[in-house]
Amino acid sequence: MTTDFEKRSREVLEESTARLDGRTRSRLTQARHAALAQLENPARNWWRSYVPAGAAAAVAVLAVVIWSGPTPPVAGPVEDMEILADAEAPDFVEDGEDLEFYEWAAGEVET
Amino acid sequence: MTAFVTLAGVYNTPNFGVERSRDQDLMTTSRALDQFLASIERRAFKIAQLGLRNDDDALDAVQDAMMKLVQSYASRPVDEWRPLFYRILANGIRDMQRRRTVRGRIMAWLPGRNSDEDEEVDPIAEAPSHDPGPAKRLELEEAIGVLETAVAALPPRQQQAFLLRNFEGLDANETASAMGCSEGSVKTHYFRALENLRGKLGEVF
Repeated sequence: MTTDFEKRSREVLEESTARLDGRTRSRLTQARHAALAQLENPARNWWRSYVPAGAAAAVAVLAVVIWSGPTPPVAGPVEDMEILADAEAPDFVEDGEDLEFYEWAAGEVET
Repeated sequence: MTAFVTLAGVYNTPNFGVERSRDQDLMTTSRALDQFLASIERRAFKIAQLGLRNDDDALDAVQDAMMKLVQSYASRPVDEWRPLFYRILANGIRDMQRRRTVRGRIMAWLPGRNSDEDEEVDPIAEAPSHDPGPAKRLELEEAIGVLETAVAALPPRQQQAFLLRNFEGLDANETASAMGCSEGSVKTHYFRALENLRGKLGEVF
C-alpha cells in the first residue's frame, strides 16, 4: 500500500527527471547509441577480451626480466673476429706435440 | 535464366537462411534494447546523480551500465534487463564513491586547485526543458530541492532501496536482485529510508 508521502515524493522526483536539461538528455542518447553500437559491431571489440590476459602476461615477463638479474657476458662476433685476426699461431701448432698426427691426417685427406 | 537459377541457388542455401535469421534476431534485440534503455535512462541518471552528486560522474556511471548490459546480458530475457541494469549501475556508483574517497584522501595532501576555473558554460545545458509557470515552478523547485537533498543524505543502502522501490517502481524481489541482498533487507532499508525522509520532510510534504 502506497502512502501519500511515497506518492508525493515519486511525483516530485519524476518532475525533476522531466526537467533534465538538453545537454544531459543529449548525452544520455549518445550513451545509449554507443552501447547499442557494440551489438552491431562486436568484431571491433574482440581484442578487448584479451586485454587483461595480455596485461598480465606483460607484467609476468617484466617481472621475470627484472628478477632474473644480470646475465653473464657471451662472446659476440667481434670477439670471434679478434681471435681469427690474432697474429699468434693456434695452440696445437705451438705445442708441437701432435704435429705428426696432423701431418698424417692431412695426407690421408689428400689421398 | 542462368542468372536467376544461380541467384535462386544462393538464396536457397541453408547458410543464407541462418545468416538472415541471425540478422533479424540482432535487429529485434537491438530495437528492444533501444526501447528499454530509452525508457529508463533519465531515471537511471537521476538515481546516479543523487548517489554521486555530480552530473558528469552520473552520466559516466549510466553509460558504463548501458555498455555492460549490452555487452554481457543482451541475450537474457527482456524482463531480466531492468534488475540487471540497476545491479550494474549500483555497483558502478559504489565503485565511483570508493574511488572518490581514495582520491579525496590523496588530493588532501596536494596543493589546492580551483576546479571551477576549468568549467565552461554550455548554453544548451542552461536551457530549461519546459516552463510550467512561475508560481508552480517555484513550488516544484523548492520541493525538488528539499527532497533531493534529503535523499542524497540517506545512507547508501537506504537511498538505493528508496529510489529503486519508490522511484523506479521495482518490486521487492527485483529490488533485492538489483541490490544483491534478500527481500527482507530491502524491506528494512526501505522502511528506514521512509522514516528518515518523513522525519526531515514531514512539514514540507
